[in-house]
Amino acid sequence: MKALPWKLAGLYAGLTLAATLILLPLLFALSIAVQGDTVSPRLVPDFSRLDPSAFVQVFQKEPLMARWILNSWVVSLTVTAGQLLVSLLAAYPLALFRFRGRTFFFFLFLASLMIPWESTILPNYLTIAKWGWKDSYQALIVPFLASGFGIFLLRQALLVVPHELEEAAVLEGCGHGRFLWSILVPLIKPALATLAIWAFLNTWNQYYWPLLVIDHSEWRTTQVGITAFRSSEIASFNLPMAATLIVLAPTLLVLFLGQRQLVEGLTAGAVKG
Amino acid sequence: MHTTRRGHIPWLALAYMAPALVLFTVFSFLPFARAIQLSLFLVDRNTFEPAKWFGLGYYQRILNVGDTALGDEWLRSIVTTFQFTLMVVPLTLILALGLALLASAKVKGIGVYRTIFTSSLAISLASAGVIWSLFYSPSLKLFDHVLTDAATALPAVAAMTIWTSLGFAFIILLAGLKAIPKDLWESARIDGANAWTTFWRVTLPLLTPTLLFLLITSTIGAFQAFTQFKVLIDSVGPDGSTNVLVFALFTAFWTENNYGFAAALSVVLFALLLVLSLAQYCFDGRVHYQ
Repeated sequence: MKALPWKLAGLYAGLTLAATLILLPLLFALSIAVQGDTVSPRLVPDFSRLDPSAFVQVFQKEPLMARWILNSWVVSLTVTAGQLLVSLLAAYPLALFRFRGRTFFFFLFLASLMIPWESTILPNYLTIAKWGWKDSYQALIVPFLASGFGIFLLRQALLVVPHELEEAAVLEGCGHGRFLWSILVPLIKPALATLAIWAFLNTWNQYYWPLLVIDHSEWRTTQVGITAFRSSEIASFNLPMAATLIVLAPTLLVLFLGQRQLVEGLTAGAVKG
Repeated sequence: MHTTRRGHIPWLALAYMAPALVLFTVFSFLPFARAIQLSLFLVDRNTFEPAKWFGLGYYQRILNVGDTALGDEWLRSIVTTFQFTLMVVPLTLILALGLALLASAKVKGIGVYRTIFTSSLAISLASAGVIWSLFYSPSLKLFDHVLTDAATALPAVAAMTIWTSLGFAFIILLAGLKAIPKDLWESARIDGANAWTTFWRVTLPLLTPTLLFLLITSTIGAFQAFTQFKVLIDSVGPDGSTNVLVFALFTAFWTENNYGFAAALSVVLFALLLVLSLAQYCFDGRVHYQ
């Protein structure tokens, strides 16, 4: 069915309007960021006097900005790798072994999904403080290495592995480690990619926990860092906006590159077509 | 090779699951048990140890049973959380459904639009908070004093939250739309149904499971809201109008060092979210068997 020209024009008008509204806050941030050190910025910048120096000044006015970005990368990449490994190891027996208590462990992992992080944040803070882990990478990483969501996502992916494959692997005299690493991992790559993108986005964007366990500013992550730009000592608006856009860039990039993957993986569970 | 016979102790399975089990025990199960324990005691501020049995005292205070002299501050916190959820969730779903319907058209360049509609998935609440706090800043004279007026502060935070929640709801709904078999639309068209009737009779009923899934997950998300309140308001708000549950928990814990009380709020949050999760399982069962 070919759409009528006026209908098509209406569709594009609707799409463009929606896209503009959604991008508006980001365009607004960009507009403010390039207006220089003014206390009364305008909504639309003067295009003859654009001043992108804020993107450089961010790093000069706040020497720790580069460190915060490094912290965020270290923490996000480590948590992502850790969640992939821990979830894969836990999902493997849950999906492919038959053992006494499998149902028990299944529900135990399910229970972990039922306990919201916000409900355990106080005892967790006390634990971290007691261990002397405040102001450290391990405080930002270790509590997040296991993910109930990850275990169920990978278990679901492993469940569809055909039985013949296991039997063939047994005949070849293939051990568990090799079977998991060289046969199963390539098979469930899409699910692993989904989990990786999800874990990275969520870890990079964490705010509450880093706010609690970090006292010294050199251990801050970017999310807590950018809110510091709004403090009273920096009165201008261009710096907080530039800092925010710099911090947004990695996650936007990850999303754009991995969008198709993420959508397929997430919706496999949510939508039973 | 890896089939342990029933009756044997599944050492190998346990070994594989050990890292996850240890991590969940240390950072989820034990802390949760600890939260329940602390919520029943007066807690020493220096050692973080339970000092004196307090029974259900904190819970009575939260639910405003008994001593009315304390006011209804905490009950109000729960009510505010519900209000916030009611502002965020329905609008997010309706707007995301509109976006998904627009973006389901197979026209040239649709990929670009889909990417833009998904973009908020990558935008953290903290970054969104920084951008929107300037949006609302008096020096810009766009929305003067929305954050300092008790009537508009909560809707203002809700508006920002809707913006950041759209991306996730959109991709899920778009996938839901794609999963609807084409011939259903085709036969509706042959039967002479117009676009409006097709939407109400075919599209919406088939999207119901997806919408229910989003309803529950967005509600759970809205109940846990903290970052946007911390970044945009950083207090209980004008006349205490934005003191949602997790922010109240933060204040009791961080500002007042009232660990027992904060623990009781944690348990209340868990109970509220548990009801929602259970609702999801019930709905799941009902909808899919239709």
